[in-house]
Amino acid sequence: MNDLRLLLEGTVILGTPLILAAIGGYFSERSGVINIALEGKMLIATITVWLVTIATGQPVIGVAAGIGASILFSMFHWLLTQRYSLDPIVSGMAINAIAFGAANFLDKRFTDPDQAGFPKLPLMAFWVFALVLPFLVWLYVRHTRGGLRLLAVGSDPEKARQMGVFPQRTRLMALIATGVLCGLAGALIVSNAGSYVDNMTAGRGFIALAALILGGWRPLPTLAACIAFGFFYQLQIQLQGTQVLGISAPRELWLCLPYIATLVALAGLLGRNRTPAGLGKP
Amino acid sequence: MNLAVRMRGIGKSFGAVRALDEVHLEVEAGTIHALVGENGAGKTTLMRILYGAIHATDGTFEVKGQPAKFRNSAGAIRAGIGMVSQHYSIIPDLSCLDNLMLGAEPGWTIDKRVAEQRATELAQRMGFEFDWSAEASTLSPAGAQKLEILKLLWRKAEIMILDEPTAMLSPADSDALYGSLKQLVADGATVIVVTHRLPEVMQHCRDVTVLRGGKFITAKPVAETNPAELAELIVGHAMPAPSVRSVPDNAEDLLRVVNLTVAGHRGDDAVKSATFALHKGEVVGIAGVDGSGQRELFQALMGTSKLRHGEIILGNWSLHEHSIAERLRMGLRLIPEDRHEEGVIEEWSLELNAALGLQRFPPLAVGTIVNDEARHQAANEMARRFNTKHGGIRQPMSSLSGGNQQRFVAGRALFLTPRLILAFQPARGLDIDATRHVYDGIYEECEKGAGALVVSFDLDELLQFCDRIIVMNGGVVTQPNSRDRAVIGRHMVGVAS
Repeated sequence: MNDLRLLLEGTVILGTPLILAAIGGYFSERSGVINIALEGKMLIATITVWLVTIATGQPVIGVAAGIGASILFSMFHWLLTQRYSLDPIVSGMAINAIAFGAANFLDKRFTDPDQAGFPKLPLMAFWVFALVLPFLVWLYVRHTRGGLRLLAVGSDPEKARQMGVFPQRTRLMALIATGVLCGLAGALIVSNAGSYVDNMTAGRGFIALAALILGGWRPLPTLAACIAFGFFYQLQIQLQGTQVLGISAPRELWLCLPYIATLVALAGLLGRNRTPAGLGKP
Repeated sequence: MNLAVRMRGIGKSFGAVRALDEVHLEVEAGTIHALVGENGAGKTTLMRILYGAIHATDGTFEVKGQPAKFRNSAGAIRAGIGMVSQHYSIIPDLSCLDNLMLGAEPGWTIDKRVAEQRATELAQRMGFEFDWSAEASTLSPAGAQKLEILKLLWRKAEIMILDEPTAMLSPADSDALYGSLKQLVADGATVIVVTHRLPEVMQHCRDVTVLRGGKFITAKPVAETNPAELAELIVGHAMPAPSVRSVPDNAEDLLRVVNLTVAGHRGDDAVKSATFALHKGEVVGIAGVDGSGQRELFQALMGTSKLRHGEIILGNWSLHEHSIAERLRMGLRLIPEDRHEEGVIEEWSLELNAALGLQRFPPLAVGTIVNDEARHQAANEMARRFNTKHGGIRQPMSSLSGGNQQRFVAGRALFLTPRLILAFQPARGLDIDATRHVYDGIYEECEKGAGALVVSFDLDELLQFCDRIIVMNGGVVTQPNSRDRAVIGRHMVGVAS
C-alpha cells in the first residue's frame, strides 16, 4: 500500500514539470518555431528561482523572477529565429549552452554553501495547475481567436499573413507563453528538490520535447505521455535492486524502462502523428 | 462614374527589375472588371499592391473615393478589399469553418455553433453547401474556390480581387463561379478578375484593362473590343497563324497503357484501370481538374510510384518492369509539374542542372566520367532552345525567374532525342510566344517519331495544341469522341453519357 502511494506521488512529482515544459513547447512548436531550448529555459529558471527566493525570502518573487528569466531567453529565441532568420536548431542550442554556463556561474558565484532552508510555494498548487493546464490549452485552441491563429500560423505562416494575421506577433506571444511555462517547470523542479544542484534539469527539457512529439503536438496526448513517463520512471526507481521473476536486472537496464515503456505504451495508443505543417518555416 | 478603385501612375521595382511602370487602373463600382496580360505582365503585382501585401514604389490610389495607403493586408481588409490569390490561401489542416473565420474571428472567444450558423446562412445566400467541421484538405478545387468567396463575404469585402479564379476549375465550375460573381455584383459588390482567358473576359466582364511588360496598355469596355484585338494588345503584335501539323493517321502505337491502377497518397486508387494508347508522332492532351489522378499517372509512367496492377508498354518494352534509369535510357523525358521542387536544384548552376537525369548518357558522360565540356555545351544549347534569359551558364538556377526556369527545363526535356515526352503544365509561367515555342519544340520531336502526353488544367491550351484529348476524372480515363469544349467539359466532371 505504501508502495502504491509512493508510486502515485512519484509519478506526480516527476510528471508535472514535464507537463509544464511540454505544454510550453506546445505553444512554440504549434506556432511553427522549433524549440529545442526548453531545457535551457528551465535551467535558467531553476537557478533564478533559487537565488532570488533566498535573496528576498519571498518565494513568490523568486518564482516570478524565474519566469521572467525564462521569458527573456524565450524572447531571445524569437529574436534570433524570427527577426534574424537564424536556424531554430542553432538558436536553441545556443540558448541551451548560454543557460548551462550562466546557471553554473551564478550558482558558483552567489550560492551560499551554508544556506539552510528554502522557502517555497505549496507544491500542490503547481501540481493542480500542471494537471489542469492541458485541458485549458485544449479549450483555448478550439474556442478562441488566439488559439485559431496559433494553429494557422504554425500550419502556414504565409497564408495566415494573407488573411491579415501577423505571424511574427503570434509567434512572439507563443514564445512568451513557452517562457512562462518553462519558468514554472523550472520553479517546480527546484521546489521539489528543496535545494539547487548543478545542472538540475538533467535533460528533462528534452524529455518534455519528446513527450510533445510523441503526443503528436496535441495537448491531451502530450499530458498522457508526460504522465506515462513519470509513472515508469518512478516504477523503475522502486523496482531497482528488487528481483523480478527471480532475476535481478542491472541498474542500467532499469534506467531504460521509462523510455522504452513510454514509447511502447503510447505508440499504438496515440495513432497517426501530424507535424505542424509550418514548423520551421520563416 | 462611381469609381470603387482608382490607381494612378503605379510603379514598383524589385531591386533593379522594374515590375510595374506608370500603371493606371479604374474600376467602376458594381461591375466585374477584367485585368488581363501575359505571365509576367504585372497583373498580380498590381493587385497585391491594392491588397496591401506589397508597397508601390510610386503612384497613389483611392478606394471608394478615399485616398488609401495600406501598411499591410489587414489595412486593406479593413477598407473592404478582399483578395483570392491563385494558390488559394486555405490552410488544409484547419477545418472549413476555421479557415472561414481566420483573421476575422467574431471575437476573443469563438462560439462555434453561432459561427457555424452564420457561415451556413452566408453559404445559403450563394447557394453553396459545406460540411463546416470537415478539414479543408478534403475540398475539391471548386469547393476551395467557393470557400474563398465565402471568406470574402465573411469579411464583408466590397471590392473582391480574384487572381486566375478559374485556373483550377472545370468549364462547368467556371460558369457557376461567374454566376456567383454576377450575383455578388448585383448585390453591390465590385469584382476585379485577373485572368488570361479571353473567352471569360468577353462573356462575363464589363470592362477590361490590359497590361504588358509592366506597362499600362489600354482600358476599355468589353463591348467595344473583340478577342482578336485583345489578344494582339496583350502580346503586342499580331498573332501568327497556328502552326500546321499533320499527324499520320495509322501510325503504330508508341505507348499503350492497359488497365493501369495506381495508389494515391491517401491509400485509395488515384488512377483507376486506365487504358489508352499514344501513337507515334502524336501529342495527346490529358484534360481534367487538378487532382484527378494526372499526377499519379505521370509518376507511374516515370517510375516514381508503384503500380497496383496493369501494364505500361512503350514500343515493345514493358516499361513498368524497368527502373527509372532504364526508362530514361529508353527515352522517357519529363517536364515536371513543380520546377522548383522536382525540375531543378536551385542552388546548382544551370550547367550542373543541365545534366540532371541525363548524366548517364553520352555525350554528357563517358563511361562513368562526366564530360565537362559536353555538359557545358549542352547547357548552352538547352538555354538557347527556348530563349532562357540568364546571367551566365555558371550562375545558380535560383537567379532565374520562374518562367525562365521553365524554358530551361523544357529545353532539357527535349535534348538527346526523347521518345516519350511527359509534360505536366509545360506552359506554366510562360507567355504566349514562349508557350508556342515549347509546343513547336515538342512537335519537332514528334515528327522524328516521339510522342507526347501533356497534362494541363487549361482546356483551351490543350484544345489549341494537342492532336487528341483524353480526360481524367476521379482517376478514370475517358476518351471523348469530339473536340467540343462542352463535351469535354462534361467528361471532366463525370457527367458524360
